[in-house]
Amino acid sequence: MMHRKLVGITLLLLAGCSVSPPQPEGQQGFEVEPVAADQPQIRPSPQTSKAALALLAKARQAANEGRLSVAEAQLERALRIEPQNAVLWHYMAKLRLHQGQLSQAAGLAAKSNSLDQGNQELQANNWRIIAQARYQKGDKSGAEAAQRHAEQLLE
Amino acid sequence: MPKKSSRRRKPVASHKSRRKAAPSKRKRPARRKPLTGWRRFVNWRTILLGGFVLTVAWVIYLDVVIRVQFEGKRWALPAQVFGRPLELYAGATLSSQSFREELEQLGYRYAYRVSEPGTFSQSGGEFRLYSRAFHFWDGDAPARLMDVQFDDGMVQTVQDVKDGSELDIVRLEPLRVGGIYPSHREDRVLVKLEDVPPLLPKGLVAVEDRDFYLHHGVAPRAIARAMMANLKAGATVQGGSTMTQQLVKNFFLSNKRSLWRKGNEAIMAVLLEWHYDKDEILQAYLNEIYLGQEKSRAIHGFGLASHYYFDRPLQKLTLPQIATLIALVRGPSYYDPLRHPERLRKRRNLILDIMAEQAVITRDEANQAKTSGLGIARGRAGDTHYPAFMELVRRQLQRDYRKEDLTSEGLRIFTTFDPRVQQASEQALRRRTQLLDMQRGLQGQLQGAVVVTDTTSGEVLAVVGDRQPRYAGFNRALDAQRQIGSLIKPAVYLTALEQSDKYTLATSLNDSPISMKGPEGTIWSPKNYDDKSHGTVPLYSALVHSYNQATVRLGMDLGFERIADTLQRLGAEREIPPYPSMLLGAIGFTPYEVTGLYQTLASGGFHTPLRVIREVMTVDGEHLRRFPLEVEQTVDPAHVAVLVSALHEVTKTGTARSLQHHLPVGLTVAGKTGTTNDQRDSWFAGFSGEHLAVVWLGRDDNQPTGLTGSSGALTVWADIMGHIPTRPLPAPVTDKVAYYWIDQSSGLLSEAKCEGAINLAFIEGTAPQEHSACRESQTDSGSWFKNLFNR
Repeated sequence: MMHRKLVGITLLLLAGCSVSPPQPEGQQGFEVEPVAADQPQIRPSPQTSKAALALLAKARQAANEGRLSVAEAQLERALRIEPQNAVLWHYMAKLRLHQGQLSQAAGLAAKSNSLDQGNQELQANNWRIIAQARYQKGDKSGAEAAQRHAEQLLE
Repeated sequence: MPKKSSRRRKPVASHKSRRKAAPSKRKRPARRKPLTGWRRFVNWRTILLGGFVLTVAWVIYLDVVIRVQFEGKRWALPAQVFGRPLELYAGATLSSQSFREELEQLGYRYAYRVSEPGTFSQSGGEFRLYSRAFHFWDGDAPARLMDVQFDDGMVQTVQDVKDGSELDIVRLEPLRVGGIYPSHREDRVLVKLEDVPPLLPKGLVAVEDRDFYLHHGVAPRAIARAMMANLKAGATVQGGSTMTQQLVKNFFLSNKRSLWRKGNEAIMAVLLEWHYDKDEILQAYLNEIYLGQEKSRAIHGFGLASHYYFDRPLQKLTLPQIATLIALVRGPSYYDPLRHPERLRKRRNLILDIMAEQAVITRDEANQAKTSGLGIARGRAGDTHYPAFMELVRRQLQRDYRKEDLTSEGLRIFTTFDPRVQQASEQALRRRTQLLDMQRGLQGQLQGAVVVTDTTSGEVLAVVGDRQPRYAGFNRALDAQRQIGSLIKPAVYLTALEQSDKYTLATSLNDSPISMKGPEGTIWSPKNYDDKSHGTVPLYSALVHSYNQATVRLGMDLGFERIADTLQRLGAEREIPPYPSMLLGAIGFTPYEVTGLYQTLASGGFHTPLRVIREVMTVDGEHLRRFPLEVEQTVDPAHVAVLVSALHEVTKTGTARSLQHHLPVGLTVAGKTGTTNDQRDSWFAGFSGEHLAVVWLGRDDNQPTGLTGSSGALTVWADIMGHIPTRPLPAPVTDKVAYYWIDQSSGLLSEAKCEGAINLAFIEGTAPQEHSACRESQTDSGSWFKNLFNR
């Protein structure tokens, strides 16, 4: 089915965006677990519309080609169609993290969590994004707290 | 502002300084009485040579000045501003009627055979459409033949006709909203010589400069002729300036007349003729000449003047209208159509006579045209139907983009403008203000403003700044700073609810009278709107019914600082005065600012700056900087959910309960009314799950209108929300919040079946424990409310 294929494609969305941040000086004590490729990718829920999935596919392609602002714009289009879709917000947060826009990444991850209905994995991934964003900004204790949140969710 | 901009003033200033320096250098040596030896040495030949060198330098300088001016104006293409593109996909909320309207707005033609881009056919809910190709910044959308099926107010399928495949999502080209010059405050509607009605340039030449195609910038014969005529008449009745000279004069507009000036203008005119051909000069003339003044805005060029005086494009003007514009060239203020219509009519008829004499038109045509009235229909002074929205675009461009980027020409600006929402807002405001104005005997004084945004993205969809939306005057949406009254209360109550261990929606508040010392020792004792005190009331009830006494007491307990902090987290950029009256909204905000505050509530505690520009592209298709969606959590979503459950109750049983009669069944919304002292301002701010709209009504002179928030602004708001497809409030999903049935009057735990029970949100573990008399044994916490939302 076309639909299923699209879901498959979108699984790969922004996979290249997962990053391990360089360790800032003097912050060796605590290591934030990166949102790495070995973390399970969050799938769009089965209710996601074809239109949004098509836009996700476009966003993925653009991201792979390094055209991040195009990817970003496609995600925004998808969000206009499904503003309550927590997974779309999550992708957006990942993209921002990759772009180095830390506050935005954290804000979008929090937004994703505020819309999620019981997808622990998604929530954990969002908390990891928040942890990374805080860590890269030098907020060590904040990062630790966010990371603990993520771990608790997966217990 | 004077008629000329400061930009234009500069060359004039440099003129002056040189003017003083240059002649004195030439003359001084001759007048002095130096040593005898000197006199012999500095003979007339040296003076002549020096004078010659200076003159050449001066001419070269003038040449640079005039060419810079001319080149700067000649290619100044306006920035094209586009609205949001319509996205077509299965499931999109869009009726076939709205779709057709949008197609027509985009200039699509109805055709039986849809065979070329820009045509469509319709049979009931089925459309065949040949879309036009469009170059978006993120890729090309090709022209495409497609079938679009509508049913039940939704797009059902979008299909490619060629191969029958289903199209997931298609973007139509966006509507062109207008053209602006983002780097300065001056609007022009530039015209090309080949696009203007031929009678205009012909008539201009006949009237202003018969020898235009023969002379080299100046016409000594014309000057002599004019001097003779003026001598005869004993006054200036005729000008000898060529159109080229007039153009030069317009570049450096100044009312000063001096021989030195005229000389310079003549030299520059000759230089212009040397560099450019007649058509180029004529086109510049058409676009540059000064033709009127609208408050601070100078009307330059025939393109803009045509819109300004006749509310239609130049191409659609009739002969008498063209003659009227030509008549204005000689003195737009002396021949002002409003102040001196008779004077203008006479001159127009004279122009028609001259045109007939010069065989531009026939005698019959002239006579026929002379019988018509002036037909002035003051239109919008600008190249847009949506001046209020365009003003916002201009401001955000200037705020966010570098000046160098904005001066590059032919920018393509993609905005968030939604033509359907704009239309609904304009109609609602116009209709309701007319009606209310009549009912209250306000004699046309009632004004209003509307801002509508998308709750998720903070994108501004519509802006109306005047009940006559085409009029580019005072933009109330952006600039009318008015007291917001009770619109401030959600910020006060949110501050309380954030201390969830101390305050819930069921906490008892004291609504008894209160007096306090204001500044300068005055006693301030706020009253409730109904002039009654309600004793002890649950917190939600004080908000839902907008009780002033309870709010002031609560606010005093919370402290100004905390409330100011909440307002700032919601997005207020203004200083919040620490006076008790602030608690009741004695603080001025513009409708646009209020929208910013409520946006944070509408998006669940995430501050999202309002955004009007999505992308900017240069004329070559290069993509300028992009301002992406931004969200920052500034309030805990759980606390916002609790507040919103009360704001929803406002629209069901509170001050905005009349909405229940206005809105479609199932459309749940949340909002707040606002009324200020003596009913000077009528506000409503509210949101559905998709749209936030803020409406203000009032008078520009700040006199009472007799309108409350609910009898005025609310009716406009309801009309807007009732006319745009929108989603109900989403069910809050956070685990931290649960819904309970609460007894309205006591604030105790109640039951869905009980009379006077309402459904409110509580942070988990903070709901009231005591049961109301009616409550039965089993609890059914919140399922009804959740069902309502999930619909």
